[in-house]
Formats: sequence, structure tokens, C-alpha cells
Amino acid sequence: MEYLAYLLRQTGRNIRQTWGTQVMTLLTVTLSVLIFSFFFLVYTNLLKASERFGDELRLVVYLDKEIEPQQQPQVEKKIRSFSEVEKVTFLSRADAFARLQAQLGEEQDVLADLGPDFLPPSIEVYPAKTLRGLTQINQFSEYLQALPGVAKVQYGREWLERFGSFTKLIRVIVFLSGGLLIISMTFIVSYTIRLTVVSRHSEMEILRLLGATSAYLRLPLLLEGVLQGFCGSALGLFSLFLLYRWICDHFTAPGVLRLFEFTFFSPEAIALILLSSILLCSCGSLVSIRRFMRI
Amino acid sequence: MEQDARQESPLIELIKVTKVYPPDIVALEEVSLQVYKGEILFLTGRSGAGKSTLLKLICCLEAPTKGVIEVSGRDLAKIKPPGIQRMRQKIGVAYQDFKILEKQTVAENIAMAMEVTYASKRAIRERIAELLVMLNLSDKHDKLAGELSRGEQQRVALARAAANRPTLLLADEPTGNLDQATTELVIRLLKGLNEESGTTIVVATHDESIYMETDHRVMDLCDGRISVHASRSKPRQIELFEALPA
Ligand SMILES: Nc1ncnc2c1ncn2[C@@H]1O[C@H](COP(=O)(O)OP(=O)(O)OP(=O)(O)O)[C@@H](O)[C@H]1O
Ligand SMILES: [Mg+2]
Repeated sequence: MEYLAYLLRQTGRNIRQTWGTQVMTLLTVTLSVLIFSFFFLVYTNLLKASERFGDELRLVVYLDKEIEPQQQPQVEKKIRSFSEVEKVTFLSRADAFARLQAQLGEEQDVLADLGPDFLPPSIEVYPAKTLRGLTQINQFSEYLQALPGVAKVQYGREWLERFGSFTKLIRVIVFLSGGLLIISMTFIVSYTIRLTVVSRHSEMEILRLLGATSAYLRLPLLLEGVLQGFCGSALGLFSLFLLYRWICDHFTAPGVLRLFEFTFFSPEAIALILLSSILLCSCGSLVSIRRFMRI
Repeated sequence: MEQDARQESPLIELIKVTKVYPPDIVALEEVSLQVYKGEILFLTGRSGAGKSTLLKLICCLEAPTKGVIEVSGRDLAKIKPPGIQRMRQKIGVAYQDFKILEKQTVAENIAMAMEVTYASKRAIRERIAELLVMLNLSDKHDKLAGELSRGEQQRVALARAAANRPTLLLADEPTGNLDQATTELVIRLLKGLNEESGTTIVVATHDESIYMETDHRVMDLCDGRISVHASRSKPRQIELFEALPA
């Protein structure tokens, strides 16, 4: 008990002694965590969104002419022979027309002049969940394209590609800001701890002569790093949460963000960010302790 | 009393200890010495004789160039840093240059010695008050150590050394800057500690007045060698010293 009281008292004293720098450090840690977790949040949401797209993904195979009902099993077999497929739906001209009519609802007058034959017959292929990569889907579509009687295969390829490369870009930014986070945290924290060590140098010399154990001298410095990591990352995450709420309040109603269904970090992710910040800041203080304090 | 003590192994034992400061200043040369539990030993000698060096060797502030130093039967050279720190908590040292923090108060300076042993705040407060009364420094409790006179700083250094009621107390010139009456206070503190807590005390001093009238062992250093083993008043002890290995 007495140990803990000593630890806390000493840490408090150290922080008071260099509080100007302490505030700067805290802000730096906060900002790094904010930047990193912002991009990380965007990235996790993109991943979630792409999963959702994956669920809804289907390839539409337009045909030159209708397939007779008795041929359908053979065609389906051919399709399945390339890859796992969850569902195959055959749409005749009439089916396609009926569906479009339903979709248009009250505005179906526009179809009046076109007649029920203007849409081509098609097969809708829902690939299995295991077929995920863009290249795999590409190969699948090429295979379908090569089947006899196929006019065209459509699956929003361009859109998927753009989305994929955007996700990749964000991933790079996440890594970069993660690197920034690591560097800024360890450097700034080790710098502050160094200041504390230097400002208390003569005192530590004497404490050593009086028999202070290395735990007595070092633990407060380590705790200082831990506190910086915890407070900084908590503050950073909290600011991100405020930002998130603000975005939700202002951009939810229409458009793209609705599609994305933006969500905040899971408790596990929050714990992970807090823990790694604490770990990084402790490393920073350990570096300083090892370099500038000899006992 | 002392005779009994000597039958057990010594608290401090120096065996042919030589200390050479770089480049080639020989501060101590082949010094052998034993200090027994509960004893008060005076170390005398001209300035530069090596008194401070000897005390620094015992508290591990310096390492010997040659020879072996044992404290409680353990070779200091073989104790690892954590062990040294634990040992230092039990050794109070009043340095000749005080080594107090001028920017901290008298109370804070003394408290440091007890804080490293994780003593309770209350115990620290009470012990400080007690020591300051004994050394006539009660009104200086919250003064910055840097604002004190040399003699006052010297007493703060001694109070810090005595704070933990250490097993061993090393005092380097504890009365160098003090008048007769204050010297009395210091001696009374040391004697009290020796009698109540059984603290073994080694005092390095020029001040003949503090050992002339006592029956404690006095050892004279001359150019880094022990020249006289003597007690000024009691012949009984001279015999004993002569029985010791040279
Ligand atoms: N750190 C050091 N580096 C080099 N030489 C030193 C050092 N400390 C002491 N000496 C030398 O060692 C010798 C013994 O010094 P020491 O301080 O032990 O003497 P002393 O007996 O305590 O003297 P005084 O009574 O003046 O305090 C002296 O010649 C001194 O110059
Ligand atoms: Mg000296």
C-alpha cells in the first residue's frame, strides 16, 4: 500500500515539475491517436461495406435467346462447374419486363411503347461467399462470357475496382499514420521523460546514495509514460467519437454515407488502441530510462 | 562489552585495501582494518590522509583498486547493484561535502533517506521533528537547505544519515564547522544512536576534543596507511588492538 502511495506521489511530483512539456506531450499523443484512429475507422467501415457488397454481388449474364426450361439444368451445371455458386436464376424476356414494371411502379407508362420483348433474357448468378477476390470474379465473368449464346456479362466491375483501390489507398494511409503514431509517441514520450530525468538528476544521484532501489527511481517514470499513453489515447478516441457523432448528425439522411452505414469502433478495437498506445508510450519512457539514467 | 563483541565476526573488514585515484594518486595503501558491531571508531589523520576515501569505499561510492572489503561478511565487490542499494539503506552517511539538495527544504532533505525505504509519512514526520530538536534546528524545518549556514547544513547532513536509525553510520567531519556547544549536540546524537539502536559508528575527524575524553578506539591514518591504533584513555584496549593482525 505504502509502495503505491509513494509511486503515485512521485509520479505526480514529476509531472508537476515539467507540466508545460507534459501538456505538449499529451496533445501530441492525442493528435497522433486521432489521426491514426480516424483513418483506421474509415478503413474498418470500408471493409464492412465491401463485405456487404459481397453479399449482394451478382453477375447478370445476358443471353442472345431464351433458354428452354429443359436446357436450364445443363446450363446451370456448366456454370457450377467453374466455381461454387450459391444461386442461379433464369429470367425470360417476360420475367425481366415484369420485374422492371414492378420497379417502376406508377411510372410504368414509359414502357407502354416498348413492348414486353425489348429486354433480353438473362441468367442471374450469385457467386458463393468463398468467391471474393476481384480477380476471381473477373475470371468467373470471362468464363461466363465464353459460354455459347452469351451476349454480355455485367457486374458493376468498374465500380468494384474503384472501391477496391480506394480501400487499398486507405489501407496505405492507415499504415503510414500508424507509423507516424509509433514514431511520434515513442519520441515525444522519451523526450519528456528525458526532461524529467535531467531536471531531477542531482536528486536522483543523492537518492541512489541513500539506497533508492531502481524500482523506486524508475517506476514513477514508467508510470508517467503509461499515463501519457492512456490519457492521450483516451482523449484522441474521445475526440474521434465526437467527430463521428458530428458526421452522423450532419450527413446521415441521404446519399453515400447511408449506404456505408458508418459505425464506431467495437469495444475490442478501442481496447486495442488504448493498449497499444500505453505500450508505445511505455517503450518511449523505457528508452529514456535506459539511456539517461544509470544505476 | 566490547570484548564480547569482538569474538564475533566484524561488521566491516578491510583486507589490504589500496585505492589509487587516476592517474597515480595513492589515497590508501594496503589498509587492513576491522570494525565491530556496536563500536564507535574514530578515524584521524592529516588532511589528505585518506579518511574520506576510506569511508567512501565502505559505502560503495568508490571501488577499491586492490584488496577486499567485507560488510557483514559479504565481499562488496560481489554484491550486485540491487544488493548494494539495499545495503545503503542500512548505512547512514554524512558526507564531508554534505550532498544535500540546496533547492529543497531541510525536512525534505532528511525525508529522502526514509522515503527510499518506503517509510510511512507519519513516521517520517515524527522522526524529522525529533532529529531537528536534538540538533537544535527546529526553526529551520521549512527553510531551503541552500539558505542555511555551513554548520547548519552539516547538521542536516547528519540528521539525514541518522534518520533511518541505520546499522552503520559513517560521519565524515561531522563537527568541522561547529562551535563547542553544537559539537556536544552532535556527539550526544551519535552516542544516543549507538546506545539505543546499537548503531556502529565510524567518525572521520580532525577535532581532537571529540575523542580525547572517550574510551573509543581511535585510528590514525598517515599518507594512506594506518599509523597508530590507539585509545587515549584505556590501556585495556591498546592491548587488544595490538593483538589484531597488522
Ligand atoms: N576523486 C578523487 N580524484 C583524485 N584524487 C582524489 C580524489 N579524492 C581524493 N583524492 C586524493 O586522495 C587523497 C586522500 O583524499 P581524502 O579525501 O580521502 O583525504 P581526507 O583524509 O579525507 O582529507 P580531509 O581531512 O582534508 O578531508 C588526497 O591526496 C586527495 O587529493
Ligand atoms: Mg575528507
